[in-house]
Amino acid sequence: MWRDYLLPGSVEEALDLLSAYDGRARLIAGGTDVVPQLQEGSRQVEALVDVTRIPGLAAIAGGESAISLGAAVTYRQAIHSPVLQANAAVLVEAGRSVGSPQIRNVATLVGNVVNAMPAADAAIALFALGAELEIASPAGRRWVPIETLYIGPGQSRVDPTREMVSCVRFPALGENQGSAFVRLSRRKALALPVLNVAVVVALAGHAFAWGRIAIGPVAPQPFRAHGAEEAMRGMPADADSIRKVVEIAAGEAQPRSSLLRASREYRQQALRVLLHRALEAALVRAQCRTSVEE
Amino acid sequence: MKTRVVGQSLPRLDAKDKVTGRARYPGDFSMPGMLHAKVVWSERPHAWVRRIDVSKAEVYPGVVRVITYRDVPVNEYGINVMDQPVLVSEGDKVRWVGDRIAVVVAETEQAAKEACRLVQVQYELLPVITDPREAMKSGTPLVHEERTTSNVLHHVKIRKGDVQVGFAQADVVVEGYYVTPHVEHAYLQPEAGLGYIDEQGRIAVVCAAQWPHDDIHQIAHLLNLPEDQVHEIVPAVGGAFGGREDMYIQHLLALCAYVVRRPVRMVFTREESVSRTGKRHPFYLRHRWGATRDGMISAVEIEGISDAGAYASTSVPVLANATSFFAGPYVVPNAKIDGYTVYTNNAVTMAMRGFGATQPPVGHEQQMDKLAKVLGMDPVELRLKNFLDEGAMAVTGNRMPPGVGIKETLRQAALAAGWREQNGHWVKPDLGKPQALHKRRGIGVASAYKNVGYSFGFDDKTTAQVELTLERSGTIARVQVRVGASDVGEGVHTALAQIAAEALEVPLEKVEIAPLDTANVPDAGSSSASRHVYISGNAVLRASQEAKAKLAGILRAKSGESHVEAQHTFRGRSARPTTNYDSETGQCDPHISYGYATQIAMVEVDTETGNVDVLKLWAAHDVGQAVNPTMVEGQIGGGVHMGLGYALMEEFIQEEGLVRTRSFAEYPIPTAVDMPLEIVPIIVEVPDPTGPYGAKGVGEMTTLPTAPALLNAIHDAVGVRSERLPVTAEKVLMEMKRRG
Amino acid sequence: MPTLVMTVNGATTQLEVAASDLLADVLRDRLGLTGTKIGCNEGECGACTVLVDDQAVLSCLYPALKAQGQQVETVEGLAANGKLHVLQHAFMEAGAVQCGFCTPGMLMSAKALLDENPQPSEPEIKEAISGNLCRCTGYYQIIRAIRMASEEGTP
Repeated sequence: MWRDYLLPGSVEEALDLLSAYDGRARLIAGGTDVVPQLQEGSRQVEALVDVTRIPGLAAIAGGESAISLGAAVTYRQAIHSPVLQANAAVLVEAGRSVGSPQIRNVATLVGNVVNAMPAADAAIALFALGAELEIASPAGRRWVPIETLYIGPGQSRVDPTREMVSCVRFPALGENQGSAFVRLSRRKALALPVLNVAVVVALAGHAFAWGRIAIGPVAPQPFRAHGAEEAMRGMPADADSIRKVVEIAAGEAQPRSSLLRASREYRQQALRVLLHRALEAALVRAQCRTSVEE
Repeated sequence: MKTRVVGQSLPRLDAKDKVTGRARYPGDFSMPGMLHAKVVWSERPHAWVRRIDVSKAEVYPGVVRVITYRDVPVNEYGINVMDQPVLVSEGDKVRWVGDRIAVVVAETEQAAKEACRLVQVQYELLPVITDPREAMKSGTPLVHEERTTSNVLHHVKIRKGDVQVGFAQADVVVEGYYVTPHVEHAYLQPEAGLGYIDEQGRIAVVCAAQWPHDDIHQIAHLLNLPEDQVHEIVPAVGGAFGGREDMYIQHLLALCAYVVRRPVRMVFTREESVSRTGKRHPFYLRHRWGATRDGMISAVEIEGISDAGAYASTSVPVLANATSFFAGPYVVPNAKIDGYTVYTNNAVTMAMRGFGATQPPVGHEQQMDKLAKVLGMDPVELRLKNFLDEGAMAVTGNRMPPGVGIKETLRQAALAAGWREQNGHWVKPDLGKPQALHKRRGIGVASAYKNVGYSFGFDDKTTAQVELTLERSGTIARVQVRVGASDVGEGVHTALAQIAAEALEVPLEKVEIAPLDTANVPDAGSSSASRHVYISGNAVLRASQEAKAKLAGILRAKSGESHVEAQHTFRGRSARPTTNYDSETGQCDPHISYGYATQIAMVEVDTETGNVDVLKLWAAHDVGQAVNPTMVEGQIGGGVHMGLGYALMEEFIQEEGLVRTRSFAEYPIPTAVDMPLEIVPIIVEVPDPTGPYGAKGVGEMTTLPTAPALLNAIHDAVGVRSERLPVTAEKVLMEMKRRG
Repeated sequence: MPTLVMTVNGATTQLEVAASDLLADVLRDRLGLTGTKIGCNEGECGACTVLVDDQAVLSCLYPALKAQGQQVETVEGLAANGKLHVLQHAFMEAGAVQCGFCTPGMLMSAKALLDENPQPSEPEIKEAISGNLCRCTGYYQIIRAIRMASEEGTP
């Protein structure tokens, strides 16, 4: 399947290796997406460049203003992180719902984003958090908003044969801000989502200052309900507003029927319910500013 | 009867090997110099095979041989009917995507896989038959025009009393249409094994199997060899549930060894195991039941159609079983019942836990629930009024033999679940308040029964040998039991050893079950029909008793032997002869013995998403006599697992004969967090005097009532039913929306 | 061929492996440790679960060279000096073993749990094995076994 397996000790070394293989090598972190894809044969590579031994890449840093996660941060680390529990409940909740303990022990959040599936749970949460990712390439490093990384289902603008995501960061949730993640699936573990919703809201007094609503899979990539987000600004922070916002967001999203997960009709019905629950929970958290318990 | 060893929850004989990783399964074996084989599968569900071109595959580096139909001495096999080609010939048809075109044998598994892709097949496509109800109609293309003029493989009818009269007597009539899907066995160990020529020049196969001696019979036939030139060795088996009763790999391993004369290893991927092997029969069940105001069933009219898939397999006996159970464990004075099994180009359907007894309760238990509702009667009370009892007449006209514990299972389950019996009436428990406003709780009851042992006149038998090794004092030092019963995970070896230990009055530690090599141990029939404890247990019991009697003789004679051997063949018909359906009335004495079950499920439904959480499940099973209670509880856990999956999430899907649920990712079975929060196992013992120590059987019974109990609970919670399993959250919600 | 150096069940192991070898195949085919099972080869069943640096991972998806310098524990390493691990005893006693194919993976997931959380709640036990499929037991005796082992403490 691949002829070389390399463990670079720095981002620069990783990029040098990718250059040397000139498109025939690929980055791997946890491998739980990449290995099955390579086994299945749809992708071929000559070498895998494993980034999980790069010192510092598994760091979770931050606090008051911004939180950053290195590219090698696993779901397990994220779920157990007091920083994330206190300041990014939506990401912790998303992390808990992924796969299984064995998968969460090695799979990385950044890997989830680069895999570019429209309902990837970590990505959905990061969309709601307004995340940016740092891309390291031979030309240098640059920060890009997460939305810009998606070309289509399974297709990321990050070319894992030439460049790597080194870090993801997002503003820490402050006072009067709250978040929530809800998900529907066919069974309670080892299941892809039928629908997932991630929400971050900010209050100004008794009104919504702003909000971000991310939904999957209702589009070729994780979907932000911009119309609903616009409408939300300045609305009183109450049940009536939530009802209105839900209607707008549900109207913007275009879920499809999938044979193995759910029909369009069901997704349309259930989406309203999930949006409602996520917005309510985020609002309550914004009002109380509670952190997620383990 | 008081017993010392039987009835004790002793640790399984093989538990230590399994927890230390020492137990070896078919995929764990290798031999020096072994080759690797992979199958070239049909890519079409229905087509003439015009040409098979293996020339490119044959020259692929590492390939030793590409085996085709030309290499098969007698190209036919099958468990009931030999209607399947081992490898499809040019000029014959492929009838489903599990048909095999060729086997590639190579130095490495990778080379074999690559070379498989190079085998080219010219197909002439034929219309794909996907629905048995359509396939029954005249004018539909035939799946087996070479042997029949109709796709209807078999029809069974039961005519008891007069349904016109029965319906005229009825004060209420309830109807229903219930559809159950194809189900995948999903044993954790994919098909695997080794084939080789042993030191005596015989073909040897190491693999999992349910009926190893029947495998030998079929393999000898297709290789045109005497049966003593082929033997099968069954190591630890990673589950079966009926899925290994038909051969899917055993014969291929034998064929490879026969052709290449070197050891060959084959392992199916999970995708091959799911997509290319047999499934549980879908059934389309149409029910119409009448009852009087006081709750007595007066008439039933039932039609059941099963999808037999591409080849017969055991579809006929499954249909025969199912038809006898369509009306449930109830006294039914008037019945008009028709069962059909019909060929299609879908997956071959075969034995799967229940063997035709798992689908009927989906029908009869929802019918009983509907009757209870319309009569305003408690569901427990309604069932108790109508249950079969010892001596009662079943729908096939026979009298139920002793050991009918169904009432007891319902009483115990209901009382455990909180029902109260007051002045002859039964009162449902209060379910407590759900924690959220959008949730509703419900509780559902279901009862079921099925046969123990093979039915309808089949000569079900086991031969067991018992050998005692004696101390000089004449006491028993060791016992070896030789019996060809395959332990597929359920613990039959331990159960049989406990029976021998009981009969011989020795501690269990002294008893060994000989490793299963068909050349060395006698035929014990199949690990199916929940039959081993009853049939093989009786054989082991009697062989042990004979050995004990011989030992007594030796001791009296003081003749100094150090070994005593005895053999006994137990035939089910010696206890209870069975007969086949009368072709007009369906009246007969169908089954040797029975197991009875009731399960009660409490659920909480999210009325906004349709999601169903199972809070608690009570499972009461009449096993006659529990040989090993912990093992019986283990069967309860597994049966509930399979039943919960059946009810809520499992469906093997084909579209135009092509598989859409290829592998575990697409075919979800319940995980630890999907199971009921609490399972309460209840063992009931109403002995069958013809069973060893009164024991009957349990392996399949534990999965029969689960799905209908859940379906009835969902209806109790939110008032909806779905016509088709699985009842997913989507179906619950959409039914609720439709109802308004 | 690259050299893989890792610790397996406490013993340092050095092997030449192909870069594309997966840990499950190296353990089973090269080291003869067939206790670790392959149920699906797709990361969907957990039968291949082993511990790497104390964490449960799916060895069928774990490139062997990823284990470079790491500590690997398999079911064969659970018993120490001929004495069974408390989990192994508990599985035997509680009826948690039927066909046994899921058992090695279950034991390793359970060990990872108890090593980190010696007194887990029932939901924590269920979550710890939520990535290990079993078709025989319905899990409840397995859960009972893990609880029994946690009550007994480390041997």
